[in-house]
Amino acid sequence: MAGNAIDQTRRMLSLVTYLRERPGAHIADVARAFGITEDELISDLDVLPLCGTSFRGGDLLDIDTDGERIWWHNPDDVAEPLRLAADEATALLVAARAVATLPGLREGDRDALLRATAKLEAAAGEAAGASSRLSVTFESEGGVFADVDRAIAERRRLWLRYYSPARDELTEREVDPIRLFAVGRTYMEAWCRLSEARRTFRLDRVAEIKLLDAPADPPPIELRDLSDLSAGLVQTGAEDPEVVVEVGPGGRWVAEYYPHDSAEELPDGGLRITLRTPDPGSLRRLALRLGRDGRIVSPRGLADSARDAAQRALAAYGE
Amino acid sequence: MAIAKAERLMNLALCLLGTRRPLTKRELRESIEAYIEAAAAASAANSVSGSGGDEAFNRMFERDKDDLRELGLIIETVESVDGEIGYLARRDSNRLPPITLDAEEAAALGLAAKVWQQARLAGAASGALQKLRAAGMPLAEDSYDSQPAGALEPRIPVHEAAFEPLMLACRDRRPVVFDYRKSNAARPEQRHVEPWALECWRGHWYLAGWDRERTAERVFRLSRITGKVRLRAGAYSAEVPDHVTVRETVERWSGETATRTARIKLRSGHGYPLRARALHTHPLGDGWDELEVPYGHGLDAWLVEFGPDVVVLAPDELRADVIDRLRAVAKG
Repeated sequence: MAGNAIDQTRRMLSLVTYLRERPGAHIADVARAFGITEDELISDLDVLPLCGTSFRGGDLLDIDTDGERIWWHNPDDVAEPLRLAADEATALLVAARAVATLPGLREGDRDALLRATAKLEAAAGEAAGASSRLSVTFESEGGVFADVDRAIAERRRLWLRYYSPARDELTEREVDPIRLFAVGRTYMEAWCRLSEARRTFRLDRVAEIKLLDAPADPPPIELRDLSDLSAGLVQTGAEDPEVVVEVGPGGRWVAEYYPHDSAEELPDGGLRITLRTPDPGSLRRLALRLGRDGRIVSPRGLADSARDAAQRALAAYGE
Repeated sequence: MAIAKAERLMNLALCLLGTRRPLTKRELRESIEAYIEAAAAASAANSVSGSGGDEAFNRMFERDKDDLRELGLIIETVESVDGEIGYLARRDSNRLPPITLDAEEAAALGLAAKVWQQARLAGAASGALQKLRAAGMPLAEDSYDSQPAGALEPRIPVHEAAFEPLMLACRDRRPVVFDYRKSNAARPEQRHVEPWALECWRGHWYLAGWDRERTAERVFRLSRITGKVRLRAGAYSAEVPDHVTVRETVERWSGETATRTARIKLRSGHGYPLRARALHTHPLGDGWDELEVPYGHGLDAWLVEFGPDVVVLAPDELRADVIDRLRAVAKG
């Protein structure tokens, strides 16, 4: 965040206002208040004494630090709180409105958020106008969410009946919930006692949920880094079996929905998509769904199982 | 080494905020170290005259003013009686109005500010919090790091390259041109659009706007925009509606606004998502259940996914579509 000159300028303008009100502020406190590292703060403090408030120069900001505390020896009234920029108001208001719609949010938090949003809209004035041009809706299953949230707060184990689309079946399992996160849809990260591994569960696939009296006891595990979900939530390994799918123009959506190794253009406007999955059988649904818009090229067994399923389905219609 | 940009911007901001009267470009150029240095470097490189230095300074000065305006600074341009242009940032138009937030409200905003995964908006959200902090917003226990108020960690994903240019175009009401490949089209087509609003639903971003060639409102999925989004000069030709709803259009695409229903047979223990959406379910007794489900766009493709575990009973049109799809797969 500190690398960019725009963000640094923005931060330094707020910093002078902040320091003016707090002579002798501690470096650690200021860094925490600004959400930056102490090193980032020190690099700002290196720049500030080179900045002046007068066009004639000569009266540079006399700000210095002994490595622990910060003093501004010639505070100037130039350092007043600055109005919000359109992007700043938009970023904060859109996020606040989105979070406030989460059905699982605790009521106290939601009230605080709504109060803060109203105050922010008033203080932003005109700058708030553009925030209506951006909006975000989180999907979340209210009832399931509330149970998971409670289980996490009370450190209790959960029993789930969970739907697996790959096998079109419901499985029962006990899990020790670790956290909830929302990336478009809402997910629970938990230690699954059935598979004895960390698992991510999509809340809209939880068919049934019960809080158990047993305490949750997840082993210490590394959580997924939410700032790096660009590759999607499904993690596949290089050692997983390879599946090749050829689709016509009508099946190009496959490349949007399935993480893949490669997608080559075909002369008819279609794609040849190579992807990896730990369980190729789970792609039978895809093969059936594609119909005349695509086919599985390999592995052969997967193509056969889709054809076989289609033939058995047709039998029910007398074909 | 050239003086860092942040130092130059900071000096320009403080000069403009600190002055009581408009400052001319010449005054600013002569008083800010970074401009003096840049001008000297430019005229040394251009030995014929100092004009190279003028041009370089003018370009730099214009960019710097734009950058400060992006940060929210209102910089006024004032012409004096003798025709000279001066600049200043008045205190009263740049001051944040009084705002008092309690610790709970501060914590809630701290959680909200963390949801952006897009660099520009994440930077802007932190910047907003810093301005509020400087204006006296209390530091809550869990404002920036540690656990947020609840166990929930919401994140707004932005993977689409078209997001930032379109966000700015929506903000500044600028017409755009981009290549767009419809979901079942082989090749992209150029679209001329007056962008209205962006909306994120189920983790995907959509743009609503006026399609100039189709002279109608259209919704575009950002991941289907190929290549660059380019800005076009001029104003909007169509009126921007007060309320833009992307979501209704997208729900229609995904078949979630069904007005009809279908009757199907489903093998017991299978097809949980169909059961979850069924209006009626009753067991047939022979290992099958009969369900009434909403019949919207795309239901045929979805039913085929369940292979031999689903049989369509009615209507005939849906039955025919499903059989048609199954035949294509059965041929291999």
